[in-house]
Amino acid sequence: MFHSSQSMWFRKAQKWQLEVDVVVIGSGAAGAVAALAAHAGKAKVAVLEKSDRFGGTTAVSGGVVWVPCNKHMADVGIADSFDDALAYVTRLADGRSEPALIRRYLETAPQMIDFVEGATPIAFKALGRYPDYHPEFAGGRPGGRSLDPGLFDTNTLGPWKDKLRRSPVFGMTAMSVSEATDWGVFSKPSALPFGLLAKRFKQGLVCYGGALSGGLLKALLDRGIEPTLGTSAEELLVDDDRVVGVRARQGDKDILIGAKRGVVLASGGFEWNADLCRRFLGGPLTHPNSPPGNDGDGLRMAMSLGADLGNMSEAWWCPSLMVPGEEYDKRPLHRGDFATRSLPHSVIVNKQGHRFVNEAHNYNDLMKAFFAFDPVAYERTNLPAWIVIDQQYLDRYALLTYVPGMPIPEWLIKADSLDELATAIGVDARGLAATVLRFNRFAVEGADPDFRRGESLYDHFYGDPEHKPNPNLGTIEKGPFYAIAVHPGAIGTKGGARTDGDARVLRPDGAPIPGLYAAGNVMAGVTGAGYPGAGATIGAAMTFGYLAGRHAAQRSG
Amino acid sequence: MPEVEYTTKMALSRELVWEFVKDMNNWAPMLTGYQKHEIIDDKDSIWTLKGDVGILSRMVRLKAHVTEWSDRDRVAFTLEGQNEKVDGGGLLVMEDVVADAPPPPPPPKRWFGRRFMDWLARKMFRRMHGEGPKRLAAPAGTEGGTRLTFTLRMEAGGPTGPLVNAMLGPALLPAAEDLANKIAAHLEKVHLGSGATSGSGSAAEKAA
Repeated sequence: MFHSSQSMWFRKAQKWQLEVDVVVIGSGAAGAVAALAAHAGKAKVAVLEKSDRFGGTTAVSGGVVWVPCNKHMADVGIADSFDDALAYVTRLADGRSEPALIRRYLETAPQMIDFVEGATPIAFKALGRYPDYHPEFAGGRPGGRSLDPGLFDTNTLGPWKDKLRRSPVFGMTAMSVSEATDWGVFSKPSALPFGLLAKRFKQGLVCYGGALSGGLLKALLDRGIEPTLGTSAEELLVDDDRVVGVRARQGDKDILIGAKRGVVLASGGFEWNADLCRRFLGGPLTHPNSPPGNDGDGLRMAMSLGADLGNMSEAWWCPSLMVPGEEYDKRPLHRGDFATRSLPHSVIVNKQGHRFVNEAHNYNDLMKAFFAFDPVAYERTNLPAWIVIDQQYLDRYALLTYVPGMPIPEWLIKADSLDELATAIGVDARGLAATVLRFNRFAVEGADPDFRRGESLYDHFYGDPEHKPNPNLGTIEKGPFYAIAVHPGAIGTKGGARTDGDARVLRPDGAPIPGLYAAGNVMAGVTGAGYPGAGATIGAAMTFGYLAGRHAAQRSG
Repeated sequence: MPEVEYTTKMALSRELVWEFVKDMNNWAPMLTGYQKHEIIDDKDSIWTLKGDVGILSRMVRLKAHVTEWSDRDRVAFTLEGQNEKVDGGGLLVMEDVVADAPPPPPPPKRWFGRRFMDWLARKMFRRMHGEGPKRLAAPAGTEGGTRLTFTLRMEAGGPTGPLVNAMLGPALLPAAEDLANKIAAHLEKVHLGSGATSGSGSAAEKAA
């Protein structure tokens, strides 16, 4: 028999402060969709969010949703098939996810999109030009399978307007992903319409994850579901093997919330919990990109009930850069790097001064090269690592808060020669000189036989289309030269409670824990080791949130 | 350039207020987001502030240069960003409050939307920086005093200037209020001792 840390008779004697059918823990896309789906199934729903803002990791993300075979792909002339998607995801999962779960994801995701579009003001558009992250693999799509939520007017949220979480990176520039692509956000940053963006900011428009979370919040509010902010779930309450409620912390008091039909864990990953990261992850995760509240509380609650775990060594990896002094939610801000390493006139080197990866590769798989281990030296060969650029880069492209035309940032390490730069960052100078010499030859020739940078359509998406002969390769030869440290980061972890096709949390024997569901980064990720395309995080999270909410609503109370 | 003005009244003599305000070292630590300041010479100093840029906070280093230092009356200074493309300035003016004089005209009434935006900006500001200083009421029967007016203007330049200004603008008035009230609260605490919470001031936005 499962039980919480306190005795059962005590629990039964408790009077719930609130009793609903379904309690959802977390307000990211997984939680919000679970709540909407449960409500659509006639369930009374409560959404608990421990921070003082709605939206979780979704709200700070790109907000794109990766859904194979979605109905909008046809609008941009992309054909898809279930078999192609299955082959593609199965290969990327690398045996770390269950085939039945992958099938369930791919079968359900298009239905989920129909449901969300019916239930919210969100009207997705297929991007059509954002390639899958391995577009050349069998089943991959060069135009991608990603959906953009567009812009959202926060004024429609009324008093909830300032309770919507804002991204520290995207929260001030209201442009849709399509616009960002059209405007050359990476390759022509100086040409961005900053006046228009300022106007939109003043108007209260948001984009990316803010738009997705805003639309989901609006739908919840329209149904009378007001998320309870500043309330952290602490313990799952169990009666006769069944999860029947939650003990939550609100300020300095505990509240007991009954859940007649189920509890959905949608509380995010554990990337901000250094202890869990050390214990489980396959590499050091020191600079997460998500809101700091993602500290594994949902995982801990699932473990306390004996949940089986899966995919625990994996994360949605992403290289991180830092501007010293920047903070978000009172913690250092780690900015995910998507373009610096992909644009011409940049390389990543290790302490030997050697390149070690296709820098323009997708952020998830790229990071794995940072964790390479030298068994003889007994150290990670590629940590620490540095992005090295030259003045040509800064004359053309943006870097974190810098846009050409602004003063060169003080946080960039600067030197007049590569030798001096190598000394300044503690990198072998001869190694760096040889690397740059070789790379410059590749840049002139337009091909990188060492690491194949600039071969894939994915690489090109983050490159400079006007740069010839290759949009990702440019010489590093014009001083001054600059460097910035690259840190191991992640958008979130993706190991957690194993679930079945209805998002029910499973015990090690394969039986579900009655009344307990998981979706999003708190569950064992359906894509295993892989990152199929932009929005695969949110696509899977929303799909399993949808399955969880739908199933929970159907359970007898 | 966006400019805001905030005026507050203290039941203290102008001499007392001037003694404090005349030296930037006294009130620089009261600046919103203050981290440190370095004195270069009589007229120049570098302030390091943790500034809230919309959603996140960022370290900004500003060079303050005193342009006017009028005995017992005013301190004016310019601000020049050292690590960000931002410029501006400030003016602290002290005036005697004459007991029998008619009160100064109230600041022009702003349209509802503007007042709502200011309210929202104050709310966000307080969320990030905590509640404002506790002001003390003047002892009964006190007449006269000093009116302290702080004018602040800031503008970001460069290609991203319009966007940064859109975020910076709403934060200016709460920042001006914060400094003026902190100066006043400090002086009231030192010279008036304990008393009831009061706090009085009026704001005006000079240019958008």
